[in-house]
Amino acid sequence: MFGKQYVRELHKQGINSLPIVCIISVFIGAVICIQMRINTESPFLPSQLTGYATRETMILEFSSAILCLILAGKVGSNIASEIGTMRITEQIDALDIMGVNSANYLILPKILAFVTMIPCLVTFSITTGLLGGFGVALFTEMITPMEYEQGIQYSFLPYSIQYSIEKSLVFAFIVTSIASYYGYTVKGGAREVGKASTNAVVNSSVIILLFDVMLTKLLLS
Amino acid sequence: MIEVKNVNKSFDGKQVLFDISANLLEGHANLIIGQSGSGKTVLMKSVAGIHRIDSGEILYDGRNISQMKSNELNLLRREIGMLFQGSALFDSLTVKDNVMFPLRMFSNKSEEEMEERARFCLERVDLLRALDLYPSEISGGMQKRAAIARAIVLNPKYLFCDEPNSGLDPKTSLLIDRLILEITHEYNITTIINTHDMNSVMEIGENIVFISKGHKSWQGNNTEIYDTGNEDLENLIFASDLYKKIKKAHQMGI
Ligand SMILES: Nc1ncnc2c1ncn2[C@@H]1O[C@H](COP(=O)(O)OP(=O)(O)OP(=O)(O)O)[C@@H](O)[C@H]1O
Ligand SMILES: [Mg+2]
Repeated sequence: MFGKQYVRELHKQGINSLPIVCIISVFIGAVICIQMRINTESPFLPSQLTGYATRETMILEFSSAILCLILAGKVGSNIASEIGTMRITEQIDALDIMGVNSANYLILPKILAFVTMIPCLVTFSITTGLLGGFGVALFTEMITPMEYEQGIQYSFLPYSIQYSIEKSLVFAFIVTSIASYYGYTVKGGAREVGKASTNAVVNSSVIILLFDVMLTKLLLS
Repeated sequence: MIEVKNVNKSFDGKQVLFDISANLLEGHANLIIGQSGSGKTVLMKSVAGIHRIDSGEILYDGRNISQMKSNELNLLRREIGMLFQGSALFDSLTVKDNVMFPLRMFSNKSEEEMEERARFCLERVDLLRALDLYPSEISGGMQKRAAIARAIVLNPKYLFCDEPNSGLDPKTSLLIDRLILEITHEYNITTIINTHDMNSVMEIGENIVFISKGHKSWQGNNTEIYDTGNEDLENLIFASDLYKKIKKAHQMGI
């Protein structure tokens, strides 16, 4: 039963998030590339800087923290409203009265599934983001694909990927556990479920930002 | 038999149940009746152990549930089936999977045996044709029946039904009442039914507990109910002209 629930959540939170992650990452990757190019266009700066800066921005911040903020909106609100609806329609009481540990049964697979999927989502986001930047190099005259490629390979630290994934694991845990908490403790009706879902998103976003600062300080300096 | 002794229950300082005592009999349909908001659902959920009571005792054949450890409580809960006011079917599962859910959780039967048991229960409530539909795709009465099938799938010793026929037409609600009564007699279940449907009271009221504003104010059966001298109860049951006429006819011995 648990395994089935877990696989379902892997699919719902992981696979179903790929399209939005892809779209957002490609566009942000492209935009960052363009802006970097415009801001660093100077005879004193090497043209490889654009690719380098795009890569660093994507890996260090966008694909972990910002991505998780976006997914807090998608996954967090989904979890809070699903569990909240189960609460107000007595489905959680039904689990309890059967002797099923409802918190375990409902919440644990969700947290585990999202924590399992987030490294894939982060890696996917970094890749598609860099491809977005490459698109700019390919289809505009701003930089050549060659310069972009050299840029994204310049002075690459594998540790930054690890840092990004470690951060995202923490964020994934924050999003799912806070959303589950708000959903599980709903009292009342549809209005309260809506409120719980909003609260889940707002609060997990704020906590993600706090942890982002702390983790960056801890892991990078 | 479930013995309820001096139960009090409040939410955030607002008391809902006041010193309720009643015996709920084995092999009988025990009805809890009362006006909307009188505390029927709270009483049922307290007896079933979903709400923790403030004081008092609830004994399941002598076993006190407020003193049970959580693993004992979980074992007891496998003997309990419950039909909720809003059916509470899991909306991500089909009717069949809903009914099979308790089996999958708690029995070590093979998949075929479980399926057979689920079919048997669904047959019992005449719902075999809705096997692969989702709860949102079937009518309210069908949801109620699916929920009954789920509640009885593990052969419970105690069956709780919160308003099994609210929102149903008189014919369907009669069918459901009779179904519950039949199952109760057939398997010697201690059945507790919340209702404010007077047809049910007259039809299946073998042991009726009347709750008024959180107090128990009368207990008896469906023949005694005509002469209770209890004003609140008369106002509730004989509220409509039709029932007033029935009462008069009954008193005249027709
Ligand atoms: N979880 C809760 N928290 C706080 N108050 C509650 C809770 N559940 C019920 N109450 C209060 O308890 C009182 C009795 O409610 P209950 O649901 O038992 O009524 P009922 O007799 O089942 O009514 P109905 O026939 O409409 O279902 C109500 O005043 C309600 O506000
Ligand atoms: Mg009720």
